[in-house]
Amino acid sequence: MLNILVLGLGQCGNRILDSINSEAFGGNGMFAKYYSNQKFPASVKTIAINTAINDLKGLKCTLAKDRFHVPHLHGVGANRTLGKKVFEDNKELIMGEIDKRGSFDLIFIITSTAGGSGSSFAPRLVEELKAAYNAQIVCIAVLPFREEGSISLQNTAFCIKELIEEKPNGILLVDNQYLKKYAGDIKSAYDKINETTARRLLFLIEALNSEMLMVTDLGDLKTVMNGGVGIGTMGFYESDNGNTVKSTILGSFKPSGLLFPANVYTEGARAMLIIKGNKKYLDLDMINKTIEELSTEVGQVFKGVLVKKGPAKVLSLFTLNSIPELDSLYASAADAIRTEKVKREESKKQLDNAFACIEELEPIY
Amino acid sequence: MLRLSHLVVVATILLLSSLIMTAAASSDYGEQIFERNLNVGEGVEIEHSITIEVVDTTEDIVDSAEFCISSPRAFARTVKVFMGDMPTKYETYNGACIYLDVISVHDETVLLMVTGPKGWRVTRYYEAEDAKTESESESAAETVSVPELVITRTLDRNHVEQGETVGVTFKIKNTGNGTASEIKLDEPLLREAYQENCPSNLDDIAAGATERVSYDLKIINTPPGTYELGATLLNCKDESGAAYSFESLSNTLKVTVKDVQVPTLEIGITIESDDNTMICGERFPVTIGIMNTGNATSGRVTIKSHLPDDVRVADGEIDPVYESIKPGDYVEHEVMMIAYEPGKHVIKMDALWADDEVSASAEFWAEQSSLATYYPHILAAVPIGLLLVGIIRRHKEYSY
Repeated sequence: MLNILVLGLGQCGNRILDSINSEAFGGNGMFAKYYSNQKFPASVKTIAINTAINDLKGLKCTLAKDRFHVPHLHGVGANRTLGKKVFEDNKELIMGEIDKRGSFDLIFIITSTAGGSGSSFAPRLVEELKAAYNAQIVCIAVLPFREEGSISLQNTAFCIKELIEEKPNGILLVDNQYLKKYAGDIKSAYDKINETTARRLLFLIEALNSEMLMVTDLGDLKTVMNGGVGIGTMGFYESDNGNTVKSTILGSFKPSGLLFPANVYTEGARAMLIIKGNKKYLDLDMINKTIEELSTEVGQVFKGVLVKKGPAKVLSLFTLNSIPELDSLYASAADAIRTEKVKREESKKQLDNAFACIEELEPIY
Repeated sequence: MLRLSHLVVVATILLLSSLIMTAAASSDYGEQIFERNLNVGEGVEIEHSITIEVVDTTEDIVDSAEFCISSPRAFARTVKVFMGDMPTKYETYNGACIYLDVISVHDETVLLMVTGPKGWRVTRYYEAEDAKTESESESAAETVSVPELVITRTLDRNHVEQGETVGVTFKIKNTGNGTASEIKLDEPLLREAYQENCPSNLDDIAAGATERVSYDLKIINTPPGTYELGATLLNCKDESGAAYSFESLSNTLKVTVKDVQVPTLEIGITIESDDNTMICGERFPVTIGIMNTGNATSGRVTIKSHLPDDVRVADGEIDPVYESIKPGDYVEHEVMMIAYEPGKHVIKMDALWADDEVSASAEFWAEQSSLATYYPHILAAVPIGLLLVGIIRRHKEYSY
């Protein structure tokens, strides 16, 4: 059985982690924790780490003992510089809390790239975890709404850059801007994004920990995540009973099922397909044939077939060779930084001019 | 005239002297046996053996009378006794002496006093045959003898228990001058008693004689109490056939019942409760006490209980066996009982010994515990409580 650690950093990471814990109750609502037990598909340990205690208090389905507050702080105010300092100051505490959970084969770090705590802690945590554990580390980085502001954009830009520099086994992107289509309002969008991310992550964990008809494993995951620029995303499709397994597989490649906008067929480097469902829906010949067809376009495609009750479901996990959306995001971030810099200089100049008015003057009482 | 007055003086002197002599004779010549006028030809028999018969009388300067005296194994003897003279002695064959003293003489009648041994009595007056023929009607009136019976009844005890016997003795003394004959004894009966060997006919009793008769009065089932034995009645006839009746004094006899040595047991059941109301399912003490109120030690005493189906013994021995219980002793044993059903319950206990037994019973009420009425609520509350505890625990686990 795989030993998996899921770390939720910052407010966004905490909430997705809470959704994972909620899904572990079977998705039976907020009261399930009072009468049900969490059932993870593997040995899963979760820790929500945050500098803002109120964010930790807001969690519903995460055990109190699995919530770690970096002491004496009320958030870092989206300041990654401060966040990194805080991490350094409390590194021993954080790593000690993780160490209590034992050893791990796979570690997921879930964080928003735009915030303060998560985006500043995540790169440093990758570094520390790599040093401390012989485990695969996959970061799930949540990109902000583009209108959230310049700080969010610049934090995202630097966070992703630093993450890649720390060389985790892979980074899976979740784009709030792309996914807000799921709901009309921001709150519902956030909840839906968190829930969707949680379900796909648990699907992946279940697949990695199960005996499959066609096997894919942690090694395959590592290979996939090493493809392209090491950044990827996940797609998902659940068929109606009338669908063929091929159409289900291809459905998971559709942009509508992805967590980050990408053209898998043109930008995909490597892929892993996990197909789960009733055996009667799982035509292995068709699966193999479809995978072969996809491999000619996407490159290496690993497959796993998991026989379970219900209709066929497909989780696709990609790494990308190119990420146009990221280019756009970095450009926006750069603009935002420059604009911010100009504004700040102008403000300073304006303030200096104002102060000049009273230069060489003394207050008279 | 002179001679007459002289005679009167002499007679007076003689009379006084004779009276003085008589008094002296009474003391020197034994006890008086009799003093009576006897006509010529009449006689008297003393102690059935000595007869004194008047032969003749003489009135002179000194009056005198001639008597013929006879007794067994002695020759009949005629003696002349002068009035005023010393009493004339007559000695019988066996040495007993009687003394004859003439008190007065008038025509053919002599007033004779005879003294002798103590207790001697006249046993018969009789008239000589020649005298009878001369004046039968007059002599008959003079020889009538009357028996006078004095009956004294004595009990050998005045207090008797049922089953015992009382000895009854009659002492019958004929103080009259005639023999009592055809004596019939009428003894009153005592309830539930038996007169054993009680004679109804007695032998004749001569004048002056005393008879003793006894019988046993067996007290069979006479109820206890004090009884007055009625007077004993004696019916008799004299020699002439005249009937007489005499009776004794009554006696008092107390009859009691013998103490029977038997053990008598009493059993009691004590349920310790203020109002004889118990709570179903709860233990309560019950004490069974046995006391020997009899006057004998009992043999083995077995206690046997009779409990309702829904009353059971929780602790203790409810049917013990006592080897013996002494008179006045009290033994008890305590058991803890439980009543399982509400309602009225009756506990019955028997104490059995030898050929007897005694029972006691006690009743009490059992009620459901007030808590029991809340059992449904409690049963409902328990899972709710557990659920709440679980929820709170979970809430705490997931609260930060």
